[in-house]
Amino acid sequence: MIVPYYHVLLFAGILFGLGVICTLTRRNLIMILLGLEIMLNAGALAFIASGLDAGQIEGQAVVIFVLAVAAAEVSLGLALITTIYRQTGTTDPRCIESDTCELE
Amino acid sequence: MIEANIHTVTFWTVLLASMPPLAAFAAILIFFRGRPKVSAGLSIGAIGLSLLAAAFLLMRYWNMTAPLSHTGQWVCSGDLSISVGFLLDPLNMLMLAVVSTISFLVQVYSLGYMHGDPGFSRYYAYMSLFAWAMICLVLSPTLVQLYIFWELVGLSSYLLIGFWHEKFSASQAGKKAFVMTRLGDVFFLMGILLLLTHIGSPDILLLDKGTPVAGLTPMVAAVGAMLIFGGIIGKSAQFPLMTWLPDAMEGPTPVSALLHSATMVAAGVFLLARLFPFFSQSPSAMMLCLSVGTVSMLMAGTSAIVSRDIKQVLAYSTISQLGFMIMGLAAGGYEAGVFHLTTHAGFKALLFLCAGVLIHRHHTNDIFEIGAKNGRGLSPTIAALFIGGGALSGIWPFSGFFSKEMIMAELAALHNPIWLLAGLAGAFLTAYYTFRMIFIVAFSSASPGATEADHTPLRSVMVGVLGILSAITLVLGFFQDGLRDFLIGGRLAVGTANHGHSPVLLMTALGISVSGVLLAWFEFGRRAAPKTGFVERFPALADFFAQRWYLDRFYRRFIDVVIYRGISFYCTQNDNKIIDGGVHRLAQAAVGVGRRAANWHEALIQARLWVMVGVVLVLLAFFVYQVAI
Repeated sequence: MIVPYYHVLLFAGILFGLGVICTLTRRNLIMILLGLEIMLNAGALAFIASGLDAGQIEGQAVVIFVLAVAAAEVSLGLALITTIYRQTGTTDPRCIESDTCELE
Repeated sequence: MIEANIHTVTFWTVLLASMPPLAAFAAILIFFRGRPKVSAGLSIGAIGLSLLAAAFLLMRYWNMTAPLSHTGQWVCSGDLSISVGFLLDPLNMLMLAVVSTISFLVQVYSLGYMHGDPGFSRYYAYMSLFAWAMICLVLSPTLVQLYIFWELVGLSSYLLIGFWHEKFSASQAGKKAFVMTRLGDVFFLMGILLLLTHIGSPDILLLDKGTPVAGLTPMVAAVGAMLIFGGIIGKSAQFPLMTWLPDAMEGPTPVSALLHSATMVAAGVFLLARLFPFFSQSPSAMMLCLSVGTVSMLMAGTSAIVSRDIKQVLAYSTISQLGFMIMGLAAGGYEAGVFHLTTHAGFKALLFLCAGVLIHRHHTNDIFEIGAKNGRGLSPTIAALFIGGGALSGIWPFSGFFSKEMIMAELAALHNPIWLLAGLAGAFLTAYYTFRMIFIVAFSSASPGATEADHTPLRSVMVGVLGILSAITLVLGFFQDGLRDFLIGGRLAVGTANHGHSPVLLMTALGISVSGVLLAWFEFGRRAAPKTGFVERFPALADFFAQRWYLDRFYRRFIDVVIYRGISFYCTQNDNKIIDGGVHRLAQAAVGVGRRAANWHEALIQARLWVMVGVVLVLLAFFVYQVAI
C-alpha cells in the first residue's frame, strides 16, 4: 500500500466530520441527505483501508453492501423529500412541522 | 361561687320552663309545617307550660335570699373552665316571668293577627325558637352560655323581621338588624374573651360578687365592662347602633311587640342589670353607659315627634325608654332600671298590639290615614291605647309612672343636675310624641265614607289580650315595693342606697308629663287643632329629626367611602392582582415552559442531531480520557 494506513484513516475521519457538519448545518433536506452519504462513504473508505491493511477481503465486501444500502437510502430519501416538498412547499427541516421558522 | 343543692322539683321545673318551646320548634318544622292549627296549638301549649313553670318558680322562691345554680362542666382546658346549666335569682325569675307572659300573650294574639297567612306554621316555629332562646338566655349562669343564646335570639329576630321575605324592604331590614347587632356582639365577644383570659371562668356569679375579682385589675375590669356594653348597645339599639330598630318594624306587628320592644331588645338592659355589681365597680364604664343612654333617649325622642308611621313612633320610643333604663341602671338604681324594664315590657307590648289591631283593620301604618279612617270613635282598642300611652308618658296611676319616678329619683341623686334635666326633657318628649300619635289616631275627623265594617277574624281574641295587658299595666305599678324587696332579697347589695320619693321631684316629673300631653292636645287633639307639631314650623329641624339625625346617611357614606372605596377596594385589588394574578402567572409560566418543551419533539431533526453528536463527542472524550489514564 503506497499511502500509509493512518493517512487514509485520517482522511476518512476528516470526510466523516465534513459529512457531520453538512448534516447539522445545511437548511436543505437534499444537502442533509448528501451529508449522510458523505459520512457513509467515509466509513466505507475506512473499511477498505483496514481491509487492505489487514490483508483480508471482508473489508471490501462490506463496502459493496454499504454502497447498495446507500443507493437504496438515497433513492428512498429523495422520494420522501419530493413528497415533503409537494406537501409543505419547503425543504427546510425547521419549517416542516414547526411554525418557528422564519421564511426569508 | 355560691351554690346550693338544687331541689329535684326545681330542676325539673326549670327544664319545663325552658325546653318545651324548643320541642315545639322542632316538631313544627319537622312534622307540622302544613298544619297551621296544630303548629299554633303546639307553640302556644309549649309557652303556656313555660309560663306555668315560671309562675311556680316565682311563687316558690319569692323569699329567696341566695341565688341557686345548677351547672355541669362543658369545656375544661388548662386554667379555663366553662360550665352550662341554669341560675336562679330574683332578677332571672322576674325576667323569666316577663318573657314567658309576654310571649304567651303575643302568641295568642297572633292567632288573630296572622290568621290565614301562608307562613302561619313557620311563624309559630320561629316564635317558639325565640321563646326558647330568650328563656335560656335569661337563665344563663355563665357569660358564654348567655352569649350563645344572645346570638340565637338575634337569629330569631332576623328570621322574624324578614318573615315576609318576599318583600324587599323586609329582607333588607332583617339583614340590617342582623349586621348592626352583630357589630355590637363583636365587642361583647371580645369583652368575654378578655375576662376569660384574666379570670379563667365566665361565671356570672363570680363577676357579681361585688368585690374586685381576683386577677382583674380595675383597668381590665373597666375595659371588659365597656366591651360588654358594646354588645348591649347593639342589642338594645342604643346610640350609635340605634338605626336598625325602626327598620325592624318591617316584621309582623306581634313580632315587633314581643322581640323589638318587650323582650329581645330588653336583653341588653337585662345584661347590664345582670352584671350590675361588676359594672358598678368601674365608674368610667358607668359614665359611658349613662351618656350613651342619655344620648339615645334624647335622639330617639326627637325622631319620634316627627314620624308619621305608628310603628316607627313606638320603635323610637322603645329606644328612648331603653336608654332611660340604662340611665337608671348607670345612675346606680338597680331596682329602678329593672322595674322600668318590667313595666315597659307590659305597656309597650300593649301599645304595639293596639297598633297591630289598627294596622290590621285599616291596612296602613300612617297615623294620619288611620285617624281619617278611624274617626272620633272610642273603641276598646283606643281605650287600651290610652292606657298604654298613659303608662309610657308616666301618668298616674299607670305602671310607667311608678318606674319612671324611681329612675328620676336615682337621677336626682347624682351630683351633676344635667342628667336629671335630660331625664325630664326625655319625659316631656315621651309624653308629647305618645299623645301626638294617640290624638291623631283617635281624634281626627273621619273622612267621608271611610268607615268600613271590621271583618277581622278572631278579633275577640286580640282584644282580649289587649284587655289582659291593660289590666297588667294598671295594676303592676302598685306592686312596686313588693318587687323591690324581692329583687334586693337575693342579691348581694352593692351601693343601692334607696333614694326615696321626694314630693317636689314627683310633682315636677308628673307636671312635665302632663304638660307634654297638653301640648299634644293643643296641637293635635282639640277639634280646631292645627295638626302640625311645633317642630314642623322649623322644616330644617323637622327634616333633621325625620332623617334620624342623618345617622343612616352617615353610615351609608361611611360604608361607601371607607369600606367600599377604601378597605374593600384594596382587598379586591390584592385579591385580583396579587393572589389571582400570582396563580395566573404561575399557570402561564407552566404553560409557556410546556410550549417550549413541546417544540423539541417537533421537526427539529437537526437540533436533535446536534445533541446526539454532542453526546457522542463527550463519550469519546470520556473514553479517550479513560484510556489515557
